[in-house]
Amino acid sequence: MGGRGAVLACPGDMSRSGGVAIRTRHLGRRFGPSWALAHCDLEVAVGESLLVAGANGSGKTTLLRLLAGLLRPTTGSIEIFGLEARAHRLACRRRLSLVSHQAFLYERLTALESLRLWARIRGGRANDAALGALLEEVGLAERRDSLVEAFSAGMRKRLTLARARLEEPDLLLLDEPFSALDVPGRRLVERWIAEGAARGATVLLASHQLEQAAVVCRRAIVLRRGQIEWEGAAAEAAARFEATA
Amino acid sequence: MSATAERPAARGLAREIGAVIAKDLLLEWRSRARLLATVLFGIVALALFSFAAGADVAVLERGAAGFLVLALLLSSTLGLAESFRVEQDDSAMEGLLLLPIDPHALFYGKALGNTLFLSLLGPVLAVAAVVFYAVEVGPRALVQLVLLWVLAAAGLSAPGTLYAAMTSRARSQDVLLPLIHYPLVVPVLLAAVKSIDLILNGDPMGQLGSWTALLAGFALVYWSLGGVLFPLAVEE
Repeated sequence: MGGRGAVLACPGDMSRSGGVAIRTRHLGRRFGPSWALAHCDLEVAVGESLLVAGANGSGKTTLLRLLAGLLRPTTGSIEIFGLEARAHRLACRRRLSLVSHQAFLYERLTALESLRLWARIRGGRANDAALGALLEEVGLAERRDSLVEAFSAGMRKRLTLARARLEEPDLLLLDEPFSALDVPGRRLVERWIAEGAARGATVLLASHQLEQAAVVCRRAIVLRRGQIEWEGAAAEAAARFEATA
Repeated sequence: MSATAERPAARGLAREIGAVIAKDLLLEWRSRARLLATVLFGIVALALFSFAAGADVAVLERGAAGFLVLALLLSSTLGLAESFRVEQDDSAMEGLLLLPIDPHALFYGKALGNTLFLSLLGPVLAVAAVVFYAVEVGPRALVQLVLLWVLAAAGLSAPGTLYAAMTSRARSQDVLLPLIHYPLVVPVLLAAVKSIDLILNGDPMGQLGSWTALLAGFALVYWSLGGVLFPLAVEE
């Protein structure tokens, strides 16, 4: 991506953890009386692209939010690049990006101001030219000074993608990244995932569009009622579960 | 990496706090709804207190300090709740928490923004107090009043920011926030009322310093505790 590397510098390397990007042990999360995720033992290698499939309410979003540190686990532990996630929250967050259903945007900031805020907090030297280039890449160059409240769902998703690209993350957590996007937007996401994989980033992709996701992921897990029900090749998952997951 | 090593440098913390304050001020400037509502509410509260106290000028003057601080407290509830409502729209605060931002920076940024916001109420409510309560203030007393007002605003903002964060996801935040905020800030309320009263009506026993120190002490405790507890309040 042109100019992106100039936006923010990547923090120091800490991925020497035997090649494991994510390791969860007995991970579980309960909301009230019901378990959204339970007994989740998962290992994802550095550079691996994993498809997380499952029907609505199967625990995909909960898993990704737990990994991103937005939820506190009820049971179990999470290691990100060899670091216990809760004890080293900031270090882990420096290396991951989450693209979710929610856009996490301030309605009364413009697209450019939103990027400026995130870049400033990330500590980079964010100049408007570099941020403008980022907005151009996601197709929002002409709306850079428009308030987010005037954005459609697809435009919000594009701005979220721009935010995730502020820094080349080592771990991409993508929760339905294709939703709300038009065809060029989906191509953009596909290209981004491919670029991430090419430079060795680890990708967790939660999606219902298994065939599309299987193009960029090799391995898949299928969740059912908060537990890993099946594990195997992403292409096989697309063939077996496309109609149900 | 140890937890200590993970702690950001002071410069990083200051940068993050600055970014949060700048964002809040910009959002506030964009809508101005919170400012307008809070100022109007404060003026209305002062007017209602003056009606309740009657037309006796002596009573009004004696009660002016209490009325002013109560107007600040009541107005703060509106402002504090609103400061986190903007964070809940589209889960914007989760977006900040996804960044490598120290939660303490988030707390101190929000609390400083709220302190600034409540401090700005001071001049407006002071003018209203002159009109409604016939309060007379000399230049020296005016400076003392400004400093005390900022201190009182800080004493209310720290616990208010913490509780606003805790209740921001609750459906009944408007009820919950004053219920838990008001009892906790009673010491601030008492110290602020007494200090302002001593400034307005004279301090023959030289008590102003003690009451101000008490107010500053409670503010310090609240700011310290708020910083410790805030990360727990924003984590689901």
